[in-house]
Amino acid sequence: MSDITLSARQLSPSAKAALGVFARYGTVIGLAAMIAAFSILSPDAFPTVNNFVNVLNQTSLAMIIAGGLTLAVIVGELDLSIGYAASLHGVLVTGLIVQTKLPVPLAIVVVLMLGAVIGIVNGLIVTKLRVNSVIATLGVGTIIVGLSFAYSAGVPIAAGVPDEFLDLALGRWLFGVPNPIIVMALVLGALWALVERTSIGQEIQAVGGNPSAARLAGINVDRIKIIGFVISGVCAALTGILLASRLGSGTASAADSYLLSAFAAVFLGSATLRDGEFHVFGTFVGALIIAFGFNGLNIFGAPTFSQYMFQGAILIVAVGLSSLGRMLAET
Amino acid sequence: MNALSKDVGTPELSPLIAARGLRKSFGGAQALKDASLSILPGEVHGLVGANGAGKSTFIRILAGLLKPDAGEILVDGRPFVAASPHHAGEAGLSFIHQELALVPDMTVIENIMLGLPKRTRLGWVDWTATAREAVPVARRVGVAAPLDAKVKGLSTAENWLISIARALIRKSRLIVMDEPTAALSVAESDRLFEIIRGVRASGVAVLYVSHRLDEVLDLCQRVSVFRDGRSVAELAGGALNRRALVEAIIGREQTAERVVGRASAGPGKTVLSVRGLTRAPKVRDVSFDLRRGEVLGLGGLVGAGRSELARLVFGADRPESGTMTLEGATFEPRDCSDAVKAGIGFVPEERRADGLVLTKSVAFNVGLANLGSLVFSPWLPFIVGGRRRSLAQAMVRDLAIKTPDIETPVGKLSGGNQQKVLIGRWLGVKPKVLILDEPTRGVDIGARGEIHRLLRNLAQGGMAVLVISSEPEELPDLCDRVLVMAGGRIVRDLSGEAITRHGIIAASYADAQERIHA
Repeated sequence: MSDITLSARQLSPSAKAALGVFARYGTVIGLAAMIAAFSILSPDAFPTVNNFVNVLNQTSLAMIIAGGLTLAVIVGELDLSIGYAASLHGVLVTGLIVQTKLPVPLAIVVVLMLGAVIGIVNGLIVTKLRVNSVIATLGVGTIIVGLSFAYSAGVPIAAGVPDEFLDLALGRWLFGVPNPIIVMALVLGALWALVERTSIGQEIQAVGGNPSAARLAGINVDRIKIIGFVISGVCAALTGILLASRLGSGTASAADSYLLSAFAAVFLGSATLRDGEFHVFGTFVGALIIAFGFNGLNIFGAPTFSQYMFQGAILIVAVGLSSLGRMLAET
Repeated sequence: MNALSKDVGTPELSPLIAARGLRKSFGGAQALKDASLSILPGEVHGLVGANGAGKSTFIRILAGLLKPDAGEILVDGRPFVAASPHHAGEAGLSFIHQELALVPDMTVIENIMLGLPKRTRLGWVDWTATAREAVPVARRVGVAAPLDAKVKGLSTAENWLISIARALIRKSRLIVMDEPTAALSVAESDRLFEIIRGVRASGVAVLYVSHRLDEVLDLCQRVSVFRDGRSVAELAGGALNRRALVEAIIGREQTAERVVGRASAGPGKTVLSVRGLTRAPKVRDVSFDLRRGEVLGLGGLVGAGRSELARLVFGADRPESGTMTLEGATFEPRDCSDAVKAGIGFVPEERRADGLVLTKSVAFNVGLANLGSLVFSPWLPFIVGGRRRSLAQAMVRDLAIKTPDIETPVGKLSGGNQQKVLIGRWLGVKPKVLILDEPTRGVDIGARGEIHRLLRNLAQGGMAVLVISSEPEELPDLCDRVLVMAGGRIVRDLSGEAITRHGIIAASYADAQERIHA
């Protein structure tokens, strides 16, 4: 009933304009406000270069996997296999290096290719068998969990991981910036350019916006959807590899929780700058909000469980307020 | 709700609904500047005006979907603000839109009774009571389909009847119908008019919104005309005639509307040749040739198989048998992208659902079929901003698309301008064959004339144009040749002076039983 009373009220044009701005920039304003608040409350620990680099470094892996997921949701599908896939990739890359004795670069390439293959499988099931993507990727994800345990027998692969591999996530090869941040910047930059600046990106957006119109404009909708899943799969592989390198081990469920943070970032991002559309930059902002929120909670010594509550609540509040603001601005 | 009370007062004098001085703006654009309109109980009231005149905005305000910036609405003489569609429904207002709001997977009876279920004491749906209530109303408006049939298989005409039944069962006192005959054939329209007259006789008022002036003149006792967001005329009795309406709609007498001349150049060589194309039951053994430089019409009743034929040619469906050749080469499109690559463009019937990405800009939508020419190179497929801009600007200029700029979301344009954007998408590609399904449906008189001229020009430039239309007047105006389909077959090939409204309608009814020997 509250929406009726809200919308029944006559809103002045300036109030509507303000609401429209809020719907678009609310998340950015929220992020800025959060950083400002933490800086005031904890001037010694929070607003330092070290802390900011640390936050970015921590969240880079989530940003990479969320960036990939963004492509899948832009084409109008969900990919629930990414967390489990990233776990498998972590187990596999350590296994290939430690047990199969593959050179590190080759192991990485093999695992990235497997990520693409998982994406193709997801895409084919969704487009050719016409299985709803939630079911398709949940099924594939569950099979992947089985594969992870089958490969590792449930035991973390930790002994004998070479420094060359550990250095991947722990090194600072460029200007002292942690490598994950560099990789994240490259990946998100490339995804942004792909979506916003290339013809494939236009096709991706068209397929997500109106699949029927895209098809009748001569776009191969199935191909575009498969591309979305492949990018999602490759980004999951990248996250899995970096996580294994950071942890120094391959563990069968290490990356599972990335699924939730990736979805949270992507949907927070849809409430950012554009009216409910998914886009790569929005995902970046969404992941930042979650990361800084966690960091602030940590600094203030909040218990770990509160982070989950924060993540869930901020997601609902941000997306809900944004769509409410949009609705009121339009009536 | 006192608005539901039965006393109507002295019927001739006190309006059921009176709107006064309504204003509404979106951002900078004023959609309604000063709109007034009153509807008497039990009258069919016409509402006409060019696209963009404010009709839709007015209806959306009545329906509680938009709030007016100024002005008032009285229902039974009492101020009324529809805070929500639900609220408007409680006041006795029903709305039937071009895109009908029925649930495809539910049955006829479930759709009629949606939201008004009869319950048994246990709270279960009481089907006996439901049927007792719904059946007489369904019969009264002439719903011919079995009431337990799912709505998704039924025709648009049947959908309209179901929607009317739904309005009546809610004891609506005003039914607003937005372009009801846009998707109906002549016979179906006639049936609908009978129902509307019956509805009116039972004391229910109808607000009839349409571009088709003949229908409005035929049906309505009074007609309000909107122009540029203002109500400019209310015509009734002797003052209500076609000339007066047209004058009010466009602000000046524009009699020279049908300026479209027939082809001057003779037909060129065959571009598309179709032989024995079949996809039962909608398309059966269809053969025809489409030549360079001609506008070929496809006439017939809704459901005659014309759209389905177009889908086969465009690769949206696969034929069961038959062959096509395009410029002499075998043409077997596996999907739409094959057809586009081979040089066929398609403007679908449902431009909002199947044509445009409404949230995206004019430039985005125009570019969608032209991406290959907008990129830096096939191996570095970055969109070159300048090319994207100049393509969109060229189309906006050449087709006189009315839009604030090329980055405006296409959903904010009027119907006629949306259609031009869709046509513009294909002009950049320069297809050999352009297929248009109902290109002027829901488009105002002015834009309609422009679209016709545009199609003629394209044909003169050497394109082969195939136009599907259910409006009997449209094809004689526009086409060099008209094929009439009935029951999935081509039953008549009309050309030159033989293309007349009467000839098309007569042939349309010449189905397999040869009921009419025209």
